[in-house]
Amino acid sequence: MKLIGCISINHRTASVDLREKICVEPEHIREILEKDYESYTLNTCNRSEIYFRGMNQDIIYNLLSRVSGVSQETIRGSSEYFEGIEAVRHLFRVAAGLDSLVIGESQILGQVKDSYRDCLAAETTGTFLNKALHRAFRTAKRIRTETDIGRYPVSIASEAVELACHIFGDISASTALIIGAGDMASIAAKRLAGRGVNKMVVINRTHRAACDLARELGAVPLPFDSLETELATCDIVISSTGATTPIITKEMIENIMKKRRNRSIFIIDIAVPRDVEPDVGKCYNCYLYDIDSLKSIVDRHFSLRKEQTSQALAIIETELGRFEKWLWALNTHTTISDLFSLVDTYIQEQLDVMALGEKEAAAAEKTLRTALRRFVHRPVSFLKTHPGIDYIEHTRRLFQLDEDYQDRHKG
Amino acid sequence: MLISVVVALYSMTCIGFIGYLFTRNKRVAIGGRILFILSVTAHLIFTIGLSLKMQQIPVSSPPQAMNMMVLFASVVFTFLIWKRLTTVLAAFFLPIATFALVLIAPSVSLDPGIFVESFRYWHLLHTLSVIAGEAFLVVAFITSVVYLIHERIIKKGAIHSMVSSLPPLAVLDKILYTCLSSGFIAITIGMILGALWTSSLDLEYAHIAPKILSGILTWFVFAFSVHQRFAIRWRGRRTAIITIIGFSVMIIGFIAINLAYPHAHGIGLIP
Repeated sequence: MKLIGCISINHRTASVDLREKICVEPEHIREILEKDYESYTLNTCNRSEIYFRGMNQDIIYNLLSRVSGVSQETIRGSSEYFEGIEAVRHLFRVAAGLDSLVIGESQILGQVKDSYRDCLAAETTGTFLNKALHRAFRTAKRIRTETDIGRYPVSIASEAVELACHIFGDISASTALIIGAGDMASIAAKRLAGRGVNKMVVINRTHRAACDLARELGAVPLPFDSLETELATCDIVISSTGATTPIITKEMIENIMKKRRNRSIFIIDIAVPRDVEPDVGKCYNCYLYDIDSLKSIVDRHFSLRKEQTSQALAIIETELGRFEKWLWALNTHTTISDLFSLVDTYIQEQLDVMALGEKEAAAAEKTLRTALRRFVHRPVSFLKTHPGIDYIEHTRRLFQLDEDYQDRHKG
Repeated sequence: MLISVVVALYSMTCIGFIGYLFTRNKRVAIGGRILFILSVTAHLIFTIGLSLKMQQIPVSSPPQAMNMMVLFASVVFTFLIWKRLTTVLAAFFLPIATFALVLIAPSVSLDPGIFVESFRYWHLLHTLSVIAGEAFLVVAFITSVVYLIHERIIKKGAIHSMVSSLPPLAVLDKILYTCLSSGFIAITIGMILGALWTSSLDLEYAHIAPKILSGILTWFVFAFSVHQRFAIRWRGRRTAIITIIGFSVMIIGFIAINLAYPHAHGIGLIP
């Protein structure tokens, strides 16, 4: 199966410096997308991935190089390439959080879904990728409910809160500063609020976004100018802005520590590109963590989650088998054959219900078969004259020829 | 005989708390706490028994002073182990305490009988205050070591199951601050009482004795640490490092100088 390809630049293959440069949006893909081509892009703090169908991988590498300004050789050396069923397997693993920095984390599924929404809006996905993504969502949901992989809280946000507890103990006396009003900041802030942090302040360049998030959290929104003032009073800082250059510098922290009278400050920088200069971590009583340094922390729960991985992988293989079955069925002959099988099934069900004698049953079967075959004749003729995969897929959906459509309509 | 029981109890408690450090098992912690209370009670009974036997507070020889210091520090830890967050600190204190008790066990009951004539209330209060101050410094030292370990691991971002049971840095810093402040006050009082005691003996200082010098040095380290805390607002790592230095000075003063000058301060008190 050489239908789908995937280029993945992730936390295993590339450093944060490189990852922060590579970010391809659906709009970039639209420029090179031709008829019957499909593409799905996923950009998170730990990965930039492009799934595509119909295109050559060289076109994608070329696009990545053009958008990021990084040479093709560097990108090729810092990426993974999956093809065919391996690409789908990788997608399932990513959606289920098995390929995440924190194995089994649930945030990634939301990010995969958000990216899918963007791709749908940009009309870059088609039958294959839509199906693969829906199957990936279903797989992720199954893994979450059928295994204990999500039992141990190891998301970046919860790890950040745990670290804060290691430093401050009871964080109910601490004040938190949230810089940025994006998803990651929001998730981390909610986690802190859940642990009963004393006070929360939200700072964002767009004050309205800060107000919205603050309202949601019961926090205080403040303008971006008050950053230094707030750094002098807050104990926990979570920064996740879209700034391209650091907004918190070493010099700034050194000045602030004097005002703080050397009280500890805990900074989590979950932004890519980073919001905080790495040297800030060297300041006295300053604890700084960026996305990469969090990697070592999450290893603690890694072994616990790893025990659940084999079970999750088994679910992935089952779902992958179903996807392959769907893929295999995605041709005209199989679909027509499935339609006639459906007819036979309906006839048999009706005959069983009627409980007729042998002679009457034969007559009834003949009548039913004629009626139902006439009914499916038009879609069958249409498929024969229009053998495109979209029409095949629509037919399969209309008649619920695949397992998941059947499952969805049960009861 | 009783000292052997005390050592055995301390050893068992030590094993229990080390087990808790690695397992974080609540039952192990409860067992450890019970054993700790038993150990301190036995230690207290032994020390009271020794006092009654000697007819004075048993601080006349270095082993007895060490015994008293371990007892005082254990009493401080009795409060610390009762809180969930600080229970694990006992796992770092008990190996040192047990080792010290094993070292002094053979000679602690021997009465040197050298202070009988010079025994005054000043002397008693001076010695107890200084030993209490030093016991606080022992607790501060243990806390400092744990602080530095925990901070290093947090900075490296390598938290694992053992370290996750260590107390938060803010809690350790608070203990450190309390111990240094209390220790400083105790040692200051002890030094003032010591001066009053020696002046009450109508003796003349022939020279500055090494033990007095080491005591002054320890006091200065305490004073510096407390000053930096209040005036410069040193916290955490810097306070921990200065405490470890202070403890080293105290240990050198206590062990080396006690070995060289076993009888008081070398100021003519020996009959």
